[in-house]
Amino acid sequence: MQATSFAPTTALPVPHSSEPAELARFRVFDAPQEWSVFSRAVSRPGAEPGRCWESQLLVRGMHCAACSLALERALLRLDGVLEVHASAASGRASITWSADLSRPSAWMNAAQAAGYELLPASDAFAADRGRQEARLALWRWLVAGFCMMQVMMYAVPGYLAGPGDITPDIEKLLRWASWVLSLPVMVFSAGPFFRNAWRDLRKRSISMDLPVALGIAMTFAISSAATFEPGGVWGHEVYFDSLTMFVFFLLTGRWLEQRLRARTAGSLELLMQRLPDSVERQAGSGQFERVAVRRLAVGDVIRVLPGEAFPADGTLLLGETFADEALLTGESRPVARLAGATVMAGSYNLAAAVEVRVDRLGAATRYGQIVALMAQAAIEKPRLALLADRVARPFLLLVMAAAAGAAAFWWNTDPALALMAAVAVLVVTCPCALSLATPAAMLSSAGLLARRGVLVRRLQAIEALADIDTIVFDKTGTLTEAAIVLRGLHTRDGTTHAEAVAMASALAQHSLHPVSRALVAAAGLDSRGPARLADVRERAGQGLEGRLGSPGLSEGTGLLRLGSASFCGVKALPAERLQVYLADESGWIARFEFDEGVRPDAAQAIALLQKAGFDVQMLSGDLPAAAMRVATQLGIGRAEGGCTPEIKLDRLKALQRQGRKVLMVGDGLNDGPVLAGAHVSVALGLAAPLAQARSDFVMPGGQLTMLPVMLFQARRTMRVVKQNLWWAAVYNAVCVPLALAGFLPAWLAGLGMAMSSLLVMANAARLAKIKERY
Amino acid sequence: MDILFLLVPLSVLLALGVVGVLAWAIWSGQFEELESEGQRIFQDDLSSAPPKSAADGQA
Repeated sequence: MQATSFAPTTALPVPHSSEPAELARFRVFDAPQEWSVFSRAVSRPGAEPGRCWESQLLVRGMHCAACSLALERALLRLDGVLEVHASAASGRASITWSADLSRPSAWMNAAQAAGYELLPASDAFAADRGRQEARLALWRWLVAGFCMMQVMMYAVPGYLAGPGDITPDIEKLLRWASWVLSLPVMVFSAGPFFRNAWRDLRKRSISMDLPVALGIAMTFAISSAATFEPGGVWGHEVYFDSLTMFVFFLLTGRWLEQRLRARTAGSLELLMQRLPDSVERQAGSGQFERVAVRRLAVGDVIRVLPGEAFPADGTLLLGETFADEALLTGESRPVARLAGATVMAGSYNLAAAVEVRVDRLGAATRYGQIVALMAQAAIEKPRLALLADRVARPFLLLVMAAAAGAAAFWWNTDPALALMAAVAVLVVTCPCALSLATPAAMLSSAGLLARRGVLVRRLQAIEALADIDTIVFDKTGTLTEAAIVLRGLHTRDGTTHAEAVAMASALAQHSLHPVSRALVAAAGLDSRGPARLADVRERAGQGLEGRLGSPGLSEGTGLLRLGSASFCGVKALPAERLQVYLADESGWIARFEFDEGVRPDAAQAIALLQKAGFDVQMLSGDLPAAAMRVATQLGIGRAEGGCTPEIKLDRLKALQRQGRKVLMVGDGLNDGPVLAGAHVSVALGLAAPLAQARSDFVMPGGQLTMLPVMLFQARRTMRVVKQNLWWAAVYNAVCVPLALAGFLPAWLAGLGMAMSSLLVMANAARLAKIKERY
Repeated sequence: MDILFLLVPLSVLLALGVVGVLAWAIWSGQFEELESEGQRIFQDDLSSAPPKSAADGQA
């Protein structure tokens, strides 16, 4: 389109309102319907019931404990704010306020003025349930621990005294006391074991909890019988101390495992905060009012301001703009969106306010699918535990048979010994070493990787990662960055490079287009001082124009234009790279060339991988010339450009036929089948619906230097798993015969089992730390 | 050693009492946040007014 007149653009004017847009944002939360998402009604003395609310917020900007105090003070100064509890450690705050005297927007503004941003914690009540479970687990563990210590106190005289030192009635007293204090342990702490064992029996399956529950039940039965009926058939010995200790150690193992699992899942929260809270929606009268995003319905017409993210998938009705969809597609260049085009939830509106009709919301959007997938990956982990249970199944059946056999064998000689031998066999065989060995190590590694920005979608992939010997990279979006970089510059005679960049960046400052951002970045400290420009306007798809206000910077005065060749009235030259022109009324001033920048850590990552002995290759769908340029820059020996996805898959299969194990690193956009076909795959960035990506690992931050760390960690993990399995084998081989022969007293069996599982956990926990060598 | 007949049941009752207190502590959220409470010592206590110095009344 040839633009010869300086007519205003078709962009919608930004609405004038009496308060800044940021503060208007908070007004949305003043509607009482919004409160129930992140608050609940509480009662406070002196206030009417239902008029006080306790809200849960996420806080941004707290760096240390003193910040929480500053926030508390700032908010308590307001009328109507009754209590404030802020925690820098968890990044959350809880505010109790009176609906008669205050409004959410009031204290949100106050927080903003103090330098902190408050966001409603919409997951506050999901967190509630997790909190309940955590409290229960802590309760069980502490009851077991405390009662264990008390029962030990009562048991010590029995161990230390010689025969006849303790009178029978004192002995009975001590046993009775032990029995009473073992009851809370049986009722509260051992509850889960019994519940799971009952579930196993009903489903005819077998898991680790069945022998454990049997062992506990038998021990308690024997000991109770010995307490109340010392002369009976069940024997004379009591084992309350073993019982409580045993339960305590088992719970410790489980608790540590829970904590590990919780830490890995926490890193997903970062993804959740992308959508805006509120947006302007057209009401029936045609006026636009700000509403919460949750209240949107399909068919609503909304107005999205520049700089905001689109809250839903929709169709552009009025206006034109650029959208930054790098988050969802990996496409670094902003896409022009003209009337009638579709926009995606989670992408950013760069240029101008536009009106959009909502087509899809929430979980139906592509963004929603990504979030759902990430959340699903977090709960998929238990499947590995189920797999291990399946493997442990025949082993456990064997154990039960052995216990029954031991009891039968010893029954004729000494019934008490028979029972204890059976219990010892049940207790000492630690299937937990078997069941815990692999998951504990995998979870530990997954936690470490998650803290470094690598999300693990399949835990088993860690095992596959340890076998890798070849790594194939995609180029666009993987080795190259999402942002554009200024590469070449040609100016007309009489204008220096620095002047051209200064003029261009003076215009570019007013735009969020990535080309503009690249120019501003290139200007950086080079500019000769800010040029004053008036009447800056941006035209979607074409460029920027503005009026120079400061003479002396160029020969011509008046209008300056930055944009496509046609926009600037210049004949375009054919070229490989993106070209942007700068022109004024007297003609062409400069031509800028842009290219995708190579990731700064790519060279280092590839060097490290090659040094470690991996074969690094590159397959790219881009032009061969561009591909070779990047390959030589990074030192990759074997590279190929112009590869369609089919060709890539071919090359991959050829490598695999040679017996190589290939790791594929891509951005998931066009590489779906290739990522699925590789031995292990890593998707960089948050490109393309992850449902299609089928990758094993996702690196939203794109730190390529994590690749050597991942490979190293995977090898370490498999070493630890093998160590754990060896330990389980040796331990069982030694202890089971001892137990069968009756040489293992119950307390030793309990101790052995507990120590064994703790050893496995501790060995796995070593994986959570890594010594920095890179 | 007859005193044990008093002491041992007493200790059982005490232990059960402690378990009860533990239940209260956990369910009223005493164990929720173990870090920020320790840092409260660094925070200024503004709830009470500073004591008036002796010199105020004179001169």
